[in-house]
Amino acid sequence: MTGAPRATFLLLLACCLLILPGAAGAQAPGGTKITVGQPLEPPILDPTAGAANAIKEVAFQTVFEGLVKLGPSGEVEPLLAKAWTISPDGLTYAFQLRRGVRFHDGRPFTAADVKFTFDRDRAATSANAQKIRFQLIDRIETLDPYTVRIRLKRRFGGFLSMLGWGDAAILSPATAASDATRPVGTGPFRFEAWRRGEAVFLGRNPDYWGRPARVGEVVFRFIADPTAAYSALDAGDVDVFANFPAPETLARLARDPRFRVAVAPTEGKTILALNNRAGPLANVRVRRALSLAVDRSAVIRGAMFGYGQPIGSHYPPQDPGYVDLTGVYPHDPARARSLLAQAGYPHGFSATLKLPPPSYARRSGEIIAAEFAEVGVTTRIQDLEWAQWLDQVFARDDFQMTIVAHTESMDYDIYARPNYYFGYKSPRYRALNQALDETTDAGRRNKILGDMQRLLAADAVNVFLFDFPALGVWNARLKNIWAPTPVSLLDLTDATVVGAAGGAGAEGEGEAGAPAWLWPILILPLAAIGAWGAWRAGPGRVAARLAAMAATLVAASVVVFVLLQIAPGDPASFMMGMNADPKSIAALRHAFGLDAPAWRRYLGWVLGMLRGDFGQSYTYRVPVAGLIVERLAVSLPLTLYALVLSTTTALVLGLVAAAGPHGLIDKVFTVVTSLGVAIPNFWFGLVLVLLFSGGLRWFSAGGFPGWSAGPGAALRALTLPAIALALPQAAILARVLRAELLPRMNEDFIRTARAKGLSMRAALVRHALPNALIPVLTILGLQFSFLLAGAIIVENVFFLPGLGRLVIQAIAQRDLITVEDVVMLLVLATLAAAALVDLVHFGVDPRLRGRR
Amino acid sequence: MSALGGSAPARPRRSLDLAIGAAITAAMAAIALASLFWAPWNAELMQTAPALAAPSAAHPFGVDAYGRDVLSRVMVGSRSALAVALAAAGVGVGVGAPLGLAAAAFGGWLDEAVMRASDLVFAFPALLIAVLMSALLGPGALNAVIAIGVFNIPVFARVARASALQLWTREFVMAAQMAGKGRFRISLEHVAPNLAGTLVVQGAIQLSLAVVADAGLAYVGLGAQPPAPSWGRMLADAQTMAGSAPWLVLFPGGAIVVTVLGLSLLGEGLRARLDPRAVARSEI
Repeated sequence: MTGAPRATFLLLLACCLLILPGAAGAQAPGGTKITVGQPLEPPILDPTAGAANAIKEVAFQTVFEGLVKLGPSGEVEPLLAKAWTISPDGLTYAFQLRRGVRFHDGRPFTAADVKFTFDRDRAATSANAQKIRFQLIDRIETLDPYTVRIRLKRRFGGFLSMLGWGDAAILSPATAASDATRPVGTGPFRFEAWRRGEAVFLGRNPDYWGRPARVGEVVFRFIADPTAAYSALDAGDVDVFANFPAPETLARLARDPRFRVAVAPTEGKTILALNNRAGPLANVRVRRALSLAVDRSAVIRGAMFGYGQPIGSHYPPQDPGYVDLTGVYPHDPARARSLLAQAGYPHGFSATLKLPPPSYARRSGEIIAAEFAEVGVTTRIQDLEWAQWLDQVFARDDFQMTIVAHTESMDYDIYARPNYYFGYKSPRYRALNQALDETTDAGRRNKILGDMQRLLAADAVNVFLFDFPALGVWNARLKNIWAPTPVSLLDLTDATVVGAAGGAGAEGEGEAGAPAWLWPILILPLAAIGAWGAWRAGPGRVAARLAAMAATLVAASVVVFVLLQIAPGDPASFMMGMNADPKSIAALRHAFGLDAPAWRRYLGWVLGMLRGDFGQSYTYRVPVAGLIVERLAVSLPLTLYALVLSTTTALVLGLVAAAGPHGLIDKVFTVVTSLGVAIPNFWFGLVLVLLFSGGLRWFSAGGFPGWSAGPGAALRALTLPAIALALPQAAILARVLRAELLPRMNEDFIRTARAKGLSMRAALVRHALPNALIPVLTILGLQFSFLLAGAIIVENVFFLPGLGRLVIQAIAQRDLITVEDVVMLLVLATLAAAALVDLVHFGVDPRLRGRR
Repeated sequence: MSALGGSAPARPRRSLDLAIGAAITAAMAAIALASLFWAPWNAELMQTAPALAAPSAAHPFGVDAYGRDVLSRVMVGSRSALAVALAAAGVGVGVGAPLGLAAAAFGGWLDEAVMRASDLVFAFPALLIAVLMSALLGPGALNAVIAIGVFNIPVFARVARASALQLWTREFVMAAQMAGKGRFRISLEHVAPNLAGTLVVQGAIQLSLAVVADAGLAYVGLGAQPPAPSWGRMLADAQTMAGSAPWLVLFPGGAIVVTVLGLSLLGEGLRARLDPRAVARSEI
């Protein structure tokens, strides 16, 4: 046992030397840059092909533009269209387009692009969130390259405003198909890179037709976790949040002179939606009672920490025509109880409240459940993922109560749809809605809007809670950044950064996360050990092992596939969101290949994997293999780091304890390891964060700067997580080691050596330890795969973009392909680790070698 | 034999393990039962004190963001933690032990099937499958039980099989065989009762793992639903306020640590009592 370990050691040393060139690669920030913190990552970057607000927040008015722009109070201003006329009958709109505009690929912007875009938006297979409204277009004519005439089927007073939303962004036919992943528009910023799960990088467009942007670069970093958001702002990693996800820390930020805070109303109407179709909720008195039972200000205080304005109907306070109806149902539990009794429920009733993931919903739900309890209504809360919510509540109307924020502008027409998820049927409301569509006169529109609001309040269709506030926080060095309009909150074109730019965490310009030198360092040592073990074990054993692995892999793949097929929730519905129609969903399912029979999909998946093709992610539309490799660049080093930490700690502890058995050190050892085994790794992670980043500030509270920031910074970010992971493993290993070492200390050959004068330490290390390593090796192998998967929860504590978070997000978004692939990868890792350990046993244990 | 400072008798420390473990476990169980009848405050009552108030005489563990008393929530949370752990271990023993027994008794294809099936389950990282199953089945205590229980089944099957195989070589079993008893009856009347010790030891260990697993699932949002308190969920809610209210992280976490410690010490102590020669192997 001398030659082979030495060779392995030299190999490892050689690998370490590879680090040095890479260390020189830390990048300096180039030009002024604004980093925007974005809670939700968009699934695609084409604002005309999806309902998610995040798409528009990242790509609209940066990369893409529309014909018109909406000002702070909703006034329509020219943008790509210089001027327009509307025919007297309100059915024909003629636009004069701006000349000299180019797309980012150099192609000129003409009327043909407008026709192409709107025809695409109103096609039967369109995924546009406003498809139904686009389908009011009868025909589009391009009279000359800079004039477009649009004729509507019937009058639609909101048409011009609609052209200012992200759903009406103008695309070029040459790049439309790839805009989802590589957007090409006419806007002041160009798309540069998208690191899935981390950030989108945009650069200034020097050829912009209007006044160019004042900053050189805009980075959207995706940070949903409130703690990570706060620490990112604090550390200067992020310059501005338009929708800061941690209202509980806003007061503290407002007092900090480094930051500015502003609260703006949004189009988000947060409601407690009631299923009007059946049961107690079908009775208007019951619904009115529930409205009286809710104390809106308590909900705002408890769920939103005091930010947000109460609303009395489905309309935001800042929009034209708003009527304040919050006084219709003040907080009055006594009246609520008497109404319930009148309705036939003197002892109340019980109902379920299904809640989607966002914290405003979960917190409001708890508060409202307590308020309902006061009037005798028992609430059973069920927390759902978005995919489940869309399936149960939104698609199948299988719910009684739910809480959600409707973020679409001017969506009062949802109450005119009898099959919308809350099932409100009112011919009077439908008549009002139709009258509104046919009116373009602002005064008359406001009157009709007022009537509609009053009707909704009188019928108590839902309990209207509050207008969802946009919590804006930005670094005081930013100027001209906060400019709320109905469409957006930030003005990135006019914003500037005063003083030195770039905080801690300067990023490379969007290269793939993993540098080339990383993989050899991680893989080569393992491969070398495996090769050595295989050589020792002989081809017969290796073949048998591989065959067993293959059989288990196949069985596992069947289990995974079957499990995911019976999962409720459809990826296509999830992607298309709340306003999708069945035809678009069916088209998307067909594009994903989801309508093929199960066995064919299984075979396609397995054969693809063997070819190296892991499929395309439903959520991101990019190859899953690429996603996995990016995340492995974080998870694999973290696992190995934790393994190294736990092994060295366990070795030291175990040896020290075995050196003085039953002495004081040994007793301390027992206590410490018993505790270590009992501590959950994620809680330990939280405690470490409290101590080291909150108290001592040696490490950041989480996040991963990327390997492009240099191995030092990357390893620092991985240190606390590795320690958290390593702790319980070290405790287990140390105990096993000690238990193996002690009996061996009494073996004859050791007693002889000691009698001849060998020191205790030498006896331990040179003689007892190598033999004790065998069972330790077994456990090490098991620990590797446990650490790789156990990191799932720890990654959540430290917001690391690793495999664990990828798979959790993929499960929530019903990105079945990604889930299947990641699970198979982890199974492979588990089996490979076990096989590796077996092979190493052959190399290490001479007794096994004899039996060929 | 002890000239080299080697094997002093292990018994004294092991009995200490057993005593401490049993005491802690009994205390947690007592708290859980007591919480059915009494707690300092109603665990779901909001605004009993200003939100995020520090520990005080009236609220020894402090108060959370909604004004709820943390001590009461920790007490009530112990109910859900122990219930889920017991149910999951119950699933494991109830399904796994008979499978292991049968595999040892009948051998052949049944044995192969049980071993291959447990190999298959072990090939999956436990936590990932628990998360997957909980996310697919929906959140809730029952689904957490299923998700964690599925992993206990092969553990108990293996342990039962290993011990049963040993027992089948013993004289009293052979005597029963020669007396003409069938394998099924032998398993039931002779082998199973002698397994009880091993199963109890493994049960204590699996209970401790189940408490951690349930806390982990609750931390990522699966597991018992609000307003029912659950330790893992309390940790998740506390994360954003950890800096200003560390007691929200320390006390629920401390409860988990104490419970798991008690259960694992109990398991180790019982194992030493029942089989002092067993190597300290623990299932990961």
